[in-house]
Amino acid sequence: MRHLPAIVLLALLASVMPAWADRIGDISETSVLEQAKRFFSFRDPSVRYAIIGSILLGISCGLMGGFIVVRKMALFGDTLSHAVLPGVALGFLWNMDKDPVAIFIGATLAGLLGGAMVALIRQTTRLKEDTALGIVLASFFAVGICLLTRIQKMPGNKGGLDEFLFGSAASIGRADIILMAVVTGLALLLVGLFYKELLVTSFDAAFARAAGFPVNVINYALTLLLAFSVVVALRAVGVVLVSAMLITPAATAYLLTDRMHRLLGLAALFGVMAGAVGAFISFLTTNIPTGPLMVMAATMVFVLAFFFGPRHGVLMRWWRQKSRSARVKRENTLKAVYHVLEAREFEGEGVSLRELAERRRETLDEARAQSGALCQHHFATLHDDGDAIHLTPDGWQRACEIVRNHRLWELYLTNEAHIAPDHVHEDAEIIEHVLGEETVRELERALNHATRDPHGRSIPGIADLATGSAPFGPPEPVTGYTPRP
Amino acid sequence: MTRWCSACAPDSLFNERPRDKRDRRNEPPPLEFHDLTVAYHKRPVLWGIDLEIPKGQLVGIIGPNGAGKSTLIKAAMGLLPLNSGWVKVFGEPIKKNLKRVGYVPQRESVDWDFPVSVMDVVLMGRYGHLGLMRRPKKHDRDIARDCLEKVKMLPYANRQISNLSGGQQQRVFLARALAQESDIYFMDEPFAGVDAATESAIVAILHELKERGKTLLVVHHDLPTAKEYFDSLLLLNMRVVAFGPTEEVFKYDLLQSTYGGRLTILSEVAEAVREKS
Amino acid sequence: MNELIPAFEWQQHVVAPWTTGLKSTLWIVLMGFFVATACGLLGNYLILRRMALVGDAISHSVLAGIGVAVVLALQLDTPTLFIAALLAGLAATLIIEIIHRYTRVKQDAAIGIAFTSLFALGVILISMKSGKVHIDTECVLYGEVALVPLEQFKLTLAPALAGAVDKLPMSEVYLRGNELVMAPDVIRMGFVALAVALLVWIFYKELLVSSFDPALAFSLGINATVVHYALMALLSVVVVSAFESVGAILVVAMLILPGATAHLLSARLPVILALTVLHAALGTLMGFHLATWLNCSIAGAFVVAGMGLFCLAWLLSPYDGLLAHWHRRRNRKARTAQRKLARTPRARETENLPKPLPVPPQLPALWARSSIG
Repeated sequence: MRHLPAIVLLALLASVMPAWADRIGDISETSVLEQAKRFFSFRDPSVRYAIIGSILLGISCGLMGGFIVVRKMALFGDTLSHAVLPGVALGFLWNMDKDPVAIFIGATLAGLLGGAMVALIRQTTRLKEDTALGIVLASFFAVGICLLTRIQKMPGNKGGLDEFLFGSAASIGRADIILMAVVTGLALLLVGLFYKELLVTSFDAAFARAAGFPVNVINYALTLLLAFSVVVALRAVGVVLVSAMLITPAATAYLLTDRMHRLLGLAALFGVMAGAVGAFISFLTTNIPTGPLMVMAATMVFVLAFFFGPRHGVLMRWWRQKSRSARVKRENTLKAVYHVLEAREFEGEGVSLRELAERRRETLDEARAQSGALCQHHFATLHDDGDAIHLTPDGWQRACEIVRNHRLWELYLTNEAHIAPDHVHEDAEIIEHVLGEETVRELERALNHATRDPHGRSIPGIADLATGSAPFGPPEPVTGYTPRP
Repeated sequence: MTRWCSACAPDSLFNERPRDKRDRRNEPPPLEFHDLTVAYHKRPVLWGIDLEIPKGQLVGIIGPNGAGKSTLIKAAMGLLPLNSGWVKVFGEPIKKNLKRVGYVPQRESVDWDFPVSVMDVVLMGRYGHLGLMRRPKKHDRDIARDCLEKVKMLPYANRQISNLSGGQQQRVFLARALAQESDIYFMDEPFAGVDAATESAIVAILHELKERGKTLLVVHHDLPTAKEYFDSLLLLNMRVVAFGPTEEVFKYDLLQSTYGGRLTILSEVAEAVREKS
Repeated sequence: MNELIPAFEWQQHVVAPWTTGLKSTLWIVLMGFFVATACGLLGNYLILRRMALVGDAISHSVLAGIGVAVVLALQLDTPTLFIAALLAGLAATLIIEIIHRYTRVKQDAAIGIAFTSLFALGVILISMKSGKVHIDTECVLYGEVALVPLEQFKLTLAPALAGAVDKLPMSEVYLRGNELVMAPDVIRMGFVALAVALLVWIFYKELLVSSFDPALAFSLGINATVVHYALMALLSVVVVSAFESVGAILVVAMLILPGATAHLLSARLPVILALTVLHAALGTLMGFHLATWLNCSIAGAFVVAGMGLFCLAWLLSPYDGLLAHWHRRRNRKARTAQRKLARTPRARETENLPKPLPVPPQLPALWARSSIG
């Protein structure tokens, strides 16, 4: 877990390598290296600004994204980020210049107006939330497009305004950095100070209201912070894709952790990584906008977490599934050994592979493979040149437990749930592997410590577990359950 | 307030409209479950249900929250994937007998802001009898009107459905089910949140349908009225606890084992199954 | 400000396009109308099924399909684009489904991840190859409906037929001698719109029931899953046809705005469908003149005009409109005030108090309510 970021970063670099090699193909190999060297020397101020900017926007977007993802408002973030476009255009019109402060104010106002309009549509009409979001998203964006195309046809210098659509890390300037730092600092400060309030309102607004938290104020503040984060990320990521910087890193963190504070931290980390990698690659290439590159970097991290996440990753789950079915198989073999021993009334210690194979209706090879698996887990030892297996004390105890679970459950279903005795076996086949000790004790109590299952066979009791070896003669009907040492 | 009973309901509605002339006297039971297991997110909700519902029964399905009452109905209708076992409707898989099944969903399951009128909703019940591309004919409208009349909703036929009270919405659903002209009806909590007049109206209609040989399965959550309304009861808590005539089944110990106490281990184990598989 | 908003001249901005500039005006307006009609009719069902944002996701994802086609250096002709877009739409649906099923990420975030990734992929692929193809990134955003009339195809008609066509209104636009001159994009979009209208008419019943109550649809033998995927496929086709003229993001407005406006004005589906077409026509016409006046993106102006119509409906709708709401609230308040007046002797004093401010829109309601789609 501690090395995860480094591993992820390496994998990311490896995965993006072919993409840029392909692009640079028509220039020359050395210039890529030189470019990279220049990038990492941080000599150019534009490189420094780009890197600092993407780190700052990664932090603020990751933090805010964490909240909107757990509040299931990801698409509200998307709407807000599209709705800022007319504000960008109006901010530019203020003095026909890409003045960061004017654009910041215009965009924030437009974003908040869009958010308010969504809420108003929801409240006063029968239209549902998704429709309200779609209307605001597309209409505000259209107003922005009209203004932008209008501005482009006006006289004067208006170059670079279309950078706001897809983003350009190289255009980040000193003033942008100051704004970003202020916003990120504000986000960090507020989240740090009011973490408890934000957590409780995100989890259960009704409870928070009842407990006297100022839910409305907190929500307004969060919307405002969200708008700020979107707006400062605009220059680098662009209007169209800024929502991805909110959603994807936070969703990635959501895959990896179960705690809100860790989620926020990881989301910020992934946001920073995506931002930095995107800025780096866009520096190497000339005509690919920065936003899509950052978004693809974030998506790569998500894909990695999707497959390799330690707890919820697809591979890990597949692995757990596999080991679980192996365990069930082992336990079934143990049970078969018990049944063989029981059938000959616990005469003799060893069970030959032939007997086991007949019992399980399998080939000798399969029986041998399974005995091998038992030996590997120290449940049994091989004897007679590998033709017979003897259970170890551990193996014997586990076998008793499984048979016991099976028969107790059958008895429970017949006695308490009134199921016919010939219907309960299949159920017990599944349940025997999952019953915990507490449930078993509860079952025993419910069944009055019965000793015979519905088919009249005895339920192995504590004595069998304690002796640690196959008893000779039927097991003592003693009740109670001792935990394994 | 008009309280109406089966005696004063217009007869015309229930005049037999023979759809096919097959002799149905020796046909298989309307509904059979065999070893039915259904799980939501790997957590078993119904376990090993074995049941056979005879024809012409008005069955109330009773059980605590999360006992799988609605799930049983949905599984019977083929709306959920089954983990094991099968369901047969008149001896055949549900897919072959869809037209003989009518359904009254829970009121909250649809969007009442949907832009349709009361009449449109009832006509939907007729869609099963229409082919592709066919529009409802006058005949269908007549049936729909009859059904609305039956539930005393005809004056509201042209209203948009959001302008109805809870009881009225439930009546519209009932009218729609009537318009389906099915042989089995599944109803999911038809009495939830309705007024007293609607409740007794629904009961009257249920009994009348039963008299005409329809089979009805009704999910119900109110114990005291269950005893009055239904002539047989199905006590359900993940498993069938009991099924039989009301006077035999409505017993303290059976209700006790349905609603609490000793079967709680079942849900514990269900949780274990979910966690470990 | 004068620079931003030029003076409005009736002659130049309204009359001239329909006289001297008729040849391009007609095609552009027709194109807008067809796009808005096809999208709007389909969008109605997206709204009813609470899938408006799935439309957003698919329209963004289409770009990835086009990007792949560009990189593979395929001919960007109609069939290729259609297939690429269909595949991309399918991929988006699948990715959303996979993320939703195998992780605990909720549906809304899954949509957000899927479409932004596909859109970013599309932009990267296209800009890697840009200069070699005619699609550039800006066209992706707001389309180029103004270019529609430039492309033409000619069809020679038999003299008798040409004579008959000549009698039709505005024949000078599409008839030159014996040759029929058409803008192929417009004709194609016309066919798509017609197909959508036909499908909505034919499957009216099935669409209605499966949108209103999927369980009932199943018990009536209508397969809701098939209806769902058919709708998604149709959506992909419509989006890709509209793509070049209005762009990936504005197409969302074309999908949602007409239906949403109609929903405010009526509670009957047939009326809503008719109003959708009306909105499409009015929005296109007004949008076109707005664009001529302001000299800005035509597709953007279509949407702005459509939004204007939506706001008008929102304000004035007899039962869902803001004015009706305020009126009703005031009536209610007046009635309670009267009742109070009758009850309390001191009530008269309150008459002189200032009126309470209108309640501001409550943003928190949105924060609290979370389900989407």
